[in-house]
Order: sequence, then structure tokens, then C-alpha cells
Amino acid sequence: MLEHYLTAFATILLPQNLLAICLGGLWGILAGALPGISTSMGVVLLLPFTYAMSPIGAFTILVSAYCGGITGGSITSILFGIPGEPSSVPTVIEGHAMAKQGHAAYALWVFLFCSIGGGIFSVLVMMAATPVISNFALRFGPPEYFALTVLGLSVVSGLSGSSLLKGVIACFFGIFLATMGTDGITGLERFTFGTTILLGGINFVTAMVGMLAVSEIFIEAQEPFQEYKGAAGYTGMKTKSEFPKFSLYRQNWFNLLRSSCIGTVVGALPGAGATIASFLAYGEAARSSKHPEKFGNGAVDGLMASESANNASTGGSMTILLSLGIPGSNTTAMLVAAFMIHGMQPGPLLLTARPDIIYGIFVAMLLANIFLLGLTIGGIRLFLQLNKLPYSVFSAAIMILCTIGAFGISNNMDELYLMFAFGVIGYFMRKYGYPVAPAVLGLVLGDLAELSLRRSLLLNFGSPAILVTRPISAILLAGALVSIVYPLLKKPKALQQEAG
Amino acid sequence: MKKDELIANAGVVAFFVFMLVQASELKFVRRFGDMGSGFWPIIILSTAIFLSLLVLIINTRKYLQEKKAGAPQEPAISSGEARERRMKLVLSVICLLVYILIMPYIGFVLATLLYVPAFILALGERRKWVLAVSPFLVTAMAVAVFGRFIAMPLPRGVEAFAAFSRIFY
Repeated sequence: MLEHYLTAFATILLPQNLLAICLGGLWGILAGALPGISTSMGVVLLLPFTYAMSPIGAFTILVSAYCGGITGGSITSILFGIPGEPSSVPTVIEGHAMAKQGHAAYALWVFLFCSIGGGIFSVLVMMAATPVISNFALRFGPPEYFALTVLGLSVVSGLSGSSLLKGVIACFFGIFLATMGTDGITGLERFTFGTTILLGGINFVTAMVGMLAVSEIFIEAQEPFQEYKGAAGYTGMKTKSEFPKFSLYRQNWFNLLRSSCIGTVVGALPGAGATIASFLAYGEAARSSKHPEKFGNGAVDGLMASESANNASTGGSMTILLSLGIPGSNTTAMLVAAFMIHGMQPGPLLLTARPDIIYGIFVAMLLANIFLLGLTIGGIRLFLQLNKLPYSVFSAAIMILCTIGAFGISNNMDELYLMFAFGVIGYFMRKYGYPVAPAVLGLVLGDLAELSLRRSLLLNFGSPAILVTRPISAILLAGALVSIVYPLLKKPKALQQEAG
Repeated sequence: MKKDELIANAGVVAFFVFMLVQASELKFVRRFGDMGSGFWPIIILSTAIFLSLLVLIINTRKYLQEKKAGAPQEPAISSGEARERRMKLVLSVICLLVYILIMPYIGFVLATLLYVPAFILALGERRKWVLAVSPFLVTAMAVAVFGRFIAMPLPRGVEAFAAFSRIFY
């Protein structure tokens, strides 16, 4: 094994492969940061350029773009409140709140180190425990997925701010939105009202851009005019006082470890990926925090948790791809195409047939995560150029980014109409104290929750007993129950604070 | 507690009730063990109605208590300023709506060139150089990055507008 690693290091450290890491990483950061250009789209756009490359060079640039994309999604989340990736929603909530309080540089440094830390952790786990994780992931059937989504949805208390009841209603609204469109099991149209716009369901990126970013601009439009505002609270990353102290990471070591583990394990579950991982880790951080009241208002432990988890999911996702040939996320599904382009089939045989590729990918991902430290700072500087624009132009630029982002999802004007509608809905939700993040959570997890519940019931001839008789499912549901009941016991007055 | 908040709460209840009625009309295409297409939405909407009714009841009680106590509600801003803020919001919303409605007909380039000055005017921008330069700067950046570099198929518009858009991407 050591021999394989030495060969892989020698190969990846060649100048052309180091250049591939830099280019792939930068491209990934750009794709991840721009709303509407997802990490998977970033990887797809790179694929044609890899035809003529050597297999190892191709995978080096592709996995670097993958890691960069997950990291880049958080830059615009913190600076402008626009989630570049669905997994960045908790980062918008906490990171952008910190930026608004004048600590954008602090939030960026925290995000940077936690992202890189989470990514490196998952790569090390991937190197050491590929067979273990893949076997565990294979035990997940519909009941376990349903239990996982319930556990994911149970973090709603952490996203609800001062009004738990309104947060739960918003979450149910999001779950309801996920039912719109064609039923995945029966093929029946639901809540489409005879239109084609809703036939394919509501894309959560469209809803997310509308509810989080467009509504934010509507809210800010009401504020008194300012000549310059820029990215909220940015003081420059060279400011010493904004550099997080080592003690912050020492105090949060368990949070970081737990979040990285959640990210790696959830990332290894096909169809789960970075979004569920970051929400789960964020919810766990909210539950165990000494200052749960800070969540939603710039909680640094929440930011650390979501960032560690979403980057850690890359290693988990790659583990299941390399060991079993199953793509754990959209992006790894694109990587399957890359394997096929180069005449390979990812799966158990690949490790013995082409160890140079497998170990090369391990090393490339490790180095990509290290290189991302510098590359992300470059990416942040690039996006901060927007900061120099007059505030009104800055708002217009953000709105155009949102518009292009929503249009780019399916190159269809329908997405823009939906984005507009969600912008207005988001505005009214914020105005009347209904938090938007739980609605996004519900929309992201709702579809998987419904399909996995109905498939579970089909498997057991309509009996829900299957949900509690399978050990992993039972444990996850018990965890969800604790997660729902605990905040109510801890804050019995939460329901009474309804009016917010 | 303001009256419009109560109206909003009632609107939320009405929305969920309307959708529940729609859900109850979904035909159940059953296989043995399948709960049908309406099963999940009915559970979700019923729970949402219960919770939103709870919010409505709590807030109505609070409103009535405040009304009974006769606590006067001081407006944080003057009515003139409130009207101005409302106007800025409405204009911003209209600008975005018109932008996305005309884009498929006149294309991304022209729509953006018109949207940027209209939107920044709505926000209160009055500096002439900003109004003159920004539409071209923002549109050029957007077209260069998305239309040319990433080759995203941005809307081109119809007929003569499509020909105009093809000059740029």
C-alpha cells in the first residue's frame, strides 16, 4: 500500500498535475460560489477538457473542482447572503449574520479553516476506512433513509430563531412544496393547477435563491439609501483582530470532529450528500451548544459545524463511488462519466485493476484540500471586487446573479417566474416572523422523506412497523425524537414566544 | 401585535386549508401497501393547519389583551417615511417582475440594460455617473462571464432582438 501511495505522490506532484489542482480548484470555487452553477455543473463543464488528458490528470482536475465547488459555495453565502450551493444554507444563516455584525473576515477565516479541516479529515477517513464505510452505507434501505430525513428535519428547532412554532410551520410549508409536481411513485400530477411550470416539481435551488437572496434584496430596498455598502461588514482578511484564535478550534474540537464524522458518513449515503450533512451537523451543533440562543444570529459553532460537514461529505461520497461504483451525489455521478470516458468502471475491481488511479485520487484530493486554503483566499478577493461597486449597483448585480442562477438551472424562464414568486413569499415570511431556512430545509428533504416512507410501506405491505424494527432506522428515529423533544423540555416557553 | 400580522396568520391558515381541499381530491392510485399520492400531502397539510391555527389563536388572544389594556403603539418611523419605503419596495418588485417578463422577448442584454438603471433609480440612486455607467458595466460583466466564458444559453429574445443578442453571445 505504501508503495502505491509513494507512486501516487510522485505522480501528483508533477508540475502539470499541480497546475491541474490549481485550475480545477479555482474553477470549482467559481462554480460553487455562483448561484445556479452547481458544483456538478462545474464538473460537467470541465469534462470535455479532460478527454485529451491522461486519466490521472483528468481525475486530478475533476476532484479538485469538486472540492473547490463545495468550498466556494460558502463565499457568496457569507459575503452576500446568496447560497452558492444548497449545502451552504446554514452558512448563510450564521455566516452572513456574522458579516452583518461587522465580522465578515472572521466568518471567512472560520469557514476556510473548517472547510479545509473537514475536507482533509474525510480524505484521511476515505484512505483508511473505505471498506467499512461502504459496507455501512449498503445497509441503508428506504426505512433508514426515511429515518435519516426525519432526523434531518428535526434540526428545525435550531433554524427557527425565537419562534419555534413558526419555524415548524415554515418547515411543513417547505415539505408541502416538495410534494408539488409529478408523484415519483404513481406518476400523478399534484398541485400543478393545470400548468406546466410546476409539472417537474419545485427545484430547491430556485426556491432557495428566491426565499433567501431575492427576499433579502427586497427587505434592503426598504432601507434608507446608502451610497456605498458593499459586502456587509468586510474589513479585510489581513486584519489581525479578525483572525480566529487557535483556542476557538480547541474549544470546538468535539463539534468539529462530530460534524466531520457526520459529513463523511452522510456523504457516503447515496442521495444524501452535502446538504443533508450540513443541516444535520448544524442541528447537532445547535442542540449541544452552550449558547443556543445565538443560533440564527451569527453562531460561530453553527458555522463551524456546517462547513466541516459539507466539505467532509466529499470524501464520503468518493468512498462509496470508488469502492462500490455508486455515486453518492450529483457530482460523483458526473465522475462516473469521467471514469467511462477513460475506459474504466468504478467499483470494487478498480482498486486492484488500477491502483494508480485510486491512490492518485486519494492524494489529489488531499493536496487539493491543502491548496484550497490559498485558492479560496484568491476566490474571496475576486468576489470582493463586487464590494467596490456603489450599493445600488451592487444590489442590481446580486439580483442579476440570482436571475442568471435561477435561469441556469434548466435554461427555462419558468424557473425565473418561480424565483420571483419565492422572492415575494420569502419577503412576507420574513416580514411576519416566519423563518425561511426551515422552509428550505423542508423543501430539500421533503421529497426524499415522502418517497422513502412510501417505499418502506410498500416493502412491508402497508405496515409502518418496518420503521422501528430495523436497528439503524430505529436508532435514527430515536435520535430524531430526542432532537424534537429536547428543545421543548429545555425551553418550555418556546411555544409561548410565538409572536416573536 | 398588529392587525396585519393577524391577517397574515389567517392567510396562512386559509392557504393550507385550500391546499388540503386540493389534496383530498387527488385520486389514490393504489397498489397493495401503497398509501397513494394524497397520503403524504394530507398528513403534512393537516399538521400545518393545526399548527397555524394554534399561532392564530395565540396571536388573537395577545392582540385582544393588548387592545383591552389600551397600550398605544408608537410607530417607529413617520408615515411619510413609511410611504417612501413602501414605494421603494413596490418599485423594486415591479422592476424585477417586468425584467423577467420582457427578457424572453427582448433578450438578456437589452432587458438587463433597461433593468439596471430602473432598479437603481427605484432604490434611490441619483448620481448621474452611476446611472450612466452601471447598466453597461453590469451587463458587459454578466455577458462576458456567463454568455461568453461559461457559454450559458442566456435568453436571446425574438426576431430582431435575437439577431442583436447573437452579436454578443
